[in-house]
Amino acid sequence: MKIELNNLTFSYKKRSAPVLEGVGAVFEQGKRYALTGRNGSGKTTLANLILGLLKPQNGNILINGEDAAKMSAALRAKKIGYLFQNPDLQLFAPTVMEELAFPFELTGTLTEEKQDELQRMLTIFHLNGMEERFPLTMSGGEKQRLALATVMSRHAEFLILDEPTSAIDRECRSFLTNFINGFAGGALVITHDEELIASLDSPHLLKLEGGRVHEA
Amino acid sequence: MRLDPRARLLLILLITTLAVLAKDIAYLAIVFFAALAVNAMLKINIIGAAKRMRHFIWLILFIAIVQSLTVKGGTALLSVGKINFLTTKGIGFAAEFVLRMGIILLAGLIAASSDGREMTDGLLKLGMPYELAFMSAIALRFLPVFRDEFVARINAMAMRGIDIKRLSLPKKLKVYGYLILPAVSGCVIKSEELARSMSARGFGAEKKRTMLRALKLTWTDWLVMIIAVLLTAAYLVFMYTYGNLFVL
Ligand SMILES: Nc1ncnc2c1ncn2[C@@H]1O[C@H](COP(=O)(O)OP(=O)(O)O)[C@@H](O)[C@H]1O
Ligand SMILES: [Mg+2]
Repeated sequence: MKIELNNLTFSYKKRSAPVLEGVGAVFEQGKRYALTGRNGSGKTTLANLILGLLKPQNGNILINGEDAAKMSAALRAKKIGYLFQNPDLQLFAPTVMEELAFPFELTGTLTEEKQDELQRMLTIFHLNGMEERFPLTMSGGEKQRLALATVMSRHAEFLILDEPTSAIDRECRSFLTNFINGFAGGALVITHDEELIASLDSPHLLKLEGGRVHEA
Repeated sequence: MRLDPRARLLLILLITTLAVLAKDIAYLAIVFFAALAVNAMLKINIIGAAKRMRHFIWLILFIAIVQSLTVKGGTALLSVGKINFLTTKGIGFAAEFVLRMGIILLAGLIAASSDGREMTDGLLKLGMPYELAFMSAIALRFLPVFRDEFVARINAMAMRGIDIKRLSLPKKLKVYGYLILPAVSGCVIKSEELARSMSARGFGAEKKRTMLRALKLTWTDWLVMIIAVLLTAAYLVFMYTYGNLFVL
């Protein structure tokens, strides 16, 4: 898994100053990247571009050498998992179990093996005994673990986490850092949190400033 | 054209009332075009708004299609065996629904194009209790937030590998259910938080409130309001004299 950003330029409105201007970066398998930058510097925008939710006005994104512009959002999401800054926006179902299962049910891919796998997800993400809970009323850390479980149930090879420590407590943080450090794919962590960066396993430090990504 | 919030409110009120009272498609169409005209007059970017709300518009069209396929009665246009799928009545119902929702969206645009603070002031001047006026302003303030969140949820759904376009009808309905459930419960949760933080700041503690900015009606405002009321009266008199214009 390799993601290359080449000379990406993006602005929300045609005539306004671009949020990103000539961004270049490479993200590789098995490595951890920490992206910092002031509020409003365009970190979330960059994540949305990588995910194909926004289209760059200039430049391109290569995923394993292939032009991402030619891939559907669903195909990109198969390779890249995204943890929203606000997990409420990626949780839909009335129960935890249904949250994990519904995409497979809807696409007719909820086999017995998949069901076993989802059951194991509950254990991995410390959600055992919560199968019937309503996701939106769970704690910040629980919501985040459930959102992570839904992403991992699709076998994402690369993870983008947008400010993952902004709404969780201390205990959940150690779960999160252990998870990121133990993840075999690559991970891009967008954060201001010095403590989180310090607990990552040899992260590449990047900084978004003046519309460009710099090595920090 | 700049218009006082009270004049805008009157237009919104008249348009939505007519959308409810209109007897058939022809009357609804008249109101729809009138609402379009008001939007144009206020220089509201309708095409931009339609683009931003395209998912919501698709949802309305989708409900209309389901409706037209399920309403029985009228002449059958398409039937398989003994079951009628598409009837004139079904299509009529669907068209009325689309027009009504369209009118309400257009009225919503008039509201959304106004400054929330000014709108509250306008409501207050009309004698509405501050709490109510404040609530309406908050509802307006949150509209763009809900729109952005709805778009984010659609994206999140796609990232779960679900392509809404390619699902069968019952499954599509299920996905729309998944999109609506968290949006509604999110509303409830948000309003509870807001209520808590408002009472913590002593909202409603002072009975008498003072205003920082004063509003004044101009002659344009008066002219627009008078014309709007006259046109509405003429419309209602016509509708109740001549009855239905369009019978299915
Ligand atoms: N949907 C949008 N429409 C217009 N401008 C936006 C939108 N989202 C973000 N912006 C603007 O783009 C800039 C970058 O925002 P964002 O990527 O969210 O920054 P960050 O995540 O680094 O805080 C900000 O100035 C923000 O106001
Ligand atoms: Mg952000």
